[in-house]
Amino acid sequence: MAASNMRDIKRRIKSVTSMEHITKAMKLVSAAKLRRAKNTFEKTREYFHYITESIEEIFNNTSEVPTQYLRGNREIKTTCYIIMTSSRGLCGSFNANVIKEAAREIANDPETPVIVAIGSKGKEYFVKRGYDIFEEYMLPPESISFLETHEISKPIIDRYNAGEIDEVIMISTSFVSSLEQRVVKTTLLPFEIRWDPDLPKHEQQVDYEPSVGEVFNYLVPKYVEIMVYGAIVESATCEHAARRMAMENATENAIEMIGELTLFYNRTRQAAITNEISEIVGGAEALK
Amino acid sequence: MPKSMLLEVITPSKLFYKGEVELVIVRTLTGDEGYMAGHTWAVKLLAAGELWFQEAGSNDFKIAALAGGFVDVKENIIIFADAAEWPEDINLARAEHEKEMAEDWLKHPSNDDAEIARAKIAIAKSLTRMHVQAGGHRRKR
Repeated sequence: MAASNMRDIKRRIKSVTSMEHITKAMKLVSAAKLRRAKNTFEKTREYFHYITESIEEIFNNTSEVPTQYLRGNREIKTTCYIIMTSSRGLCGSFNANVIKEAAREIANDPETPVIVAIGSKGKEYFVKRGYDIFEEYMLPPESISFLETHEISKPIIDRYNAGEIDEVIMISTSFVSSLEQRVVKTTLLPFEIRWDPDLPKHEQQVDYEPSVGEVFNYLVPKYVEIMVYGAIVESATCEHAARRMAMENATENAIEMIGELTLFYNRTRQAAITNEISEIVGGAEALK
Repeated sequence: MPKSMLLEVITPSKLFYKGEVELVIVRTLTGDEGYMAGHTWAVKLLAAGELWFQEAGSNDFKIAALAGGFVDVKENIIIFADAAEWPEDINLARAEHEKEMAEDWLKHPSNDDAEIARAKIAIAKSLTRMHVQAGGHRRKR
């Protein structure tokens, strides 16, 4: 009896050890990917503010801005949700957090939502619950190029212009540090511009070519594209960070488990030996 | 020596170029335009085309291929491009292939306007790449 029990424990130790190898390897891979993604992310973020600044500047300096992209221009009925998850699992609560936030937003929305899913995890969740997915993108986020994000944002902007959607909300994960990621909700459209009294009016006349309206109509979709691109890059960074953390925890747990099992195995072995000895001694005693 | 100004070329993924320049030539939607220090402030949209600039103290032009964007001319010049490439990074065979593909779309009779526009942009982009790779469309002065 003791022997079969020992064999079971040994088998478990073996399987946990191989699991530990896998999680450890995944942790190293994620750490390497995280470093690369973080690099791209930081470079992207550096130049982000330029475009928003340009838009605010134009708005503050002209009076003939087209109003179709501005808040208050029309009633908000249909909302488009861009839900940014990963396409792979094993990254802790990364996807669950985004989906939870998105589900809450959508539950509060009385109208039928238009869902754009980036990453298959979010898509699977909403398909299972009977929502229609307007668009989906399953590309691995770490290799996405800016031109590819154009394909994502173009139909959204077209639909906005056609009046089929009145608001675009993006739910994604924001990178705070390697240990902390937060789910954020960003409203991309309509564009909300703060009248910023601190931003001084230019003392010089600025030429807009072909016209203010056209420049503005170019910049706003560009702004959406850049925001989507930035969020994808950021989300990829978060995914790797989350996976690295999850795998680190898994490795730690596996090591702990191996320790416990080894202790248990040794105890059982010792118990078996003691048992045998007492049997032998008992047998010898009986023969006297 | 003419006055110099700071030129920054920004693409979504990186800072493509930053440096003191004397003259910048870009292709706006209405044609090529050059800017020197002290130019009137302007924001202009760019078509796919070549970017030429003369670094401060140098007589040679540097060229790069831009894939559309906009230029912000103030005391300094900032160019936001969807993509930018140096001549040495351009893959000529790929540019030619892309141009052929785009021309193929144009031959197709059932194309709608948006697709034709896209094909034209694609042709302009690959032509730019080819020109830049060959040392620029314009002759060097």
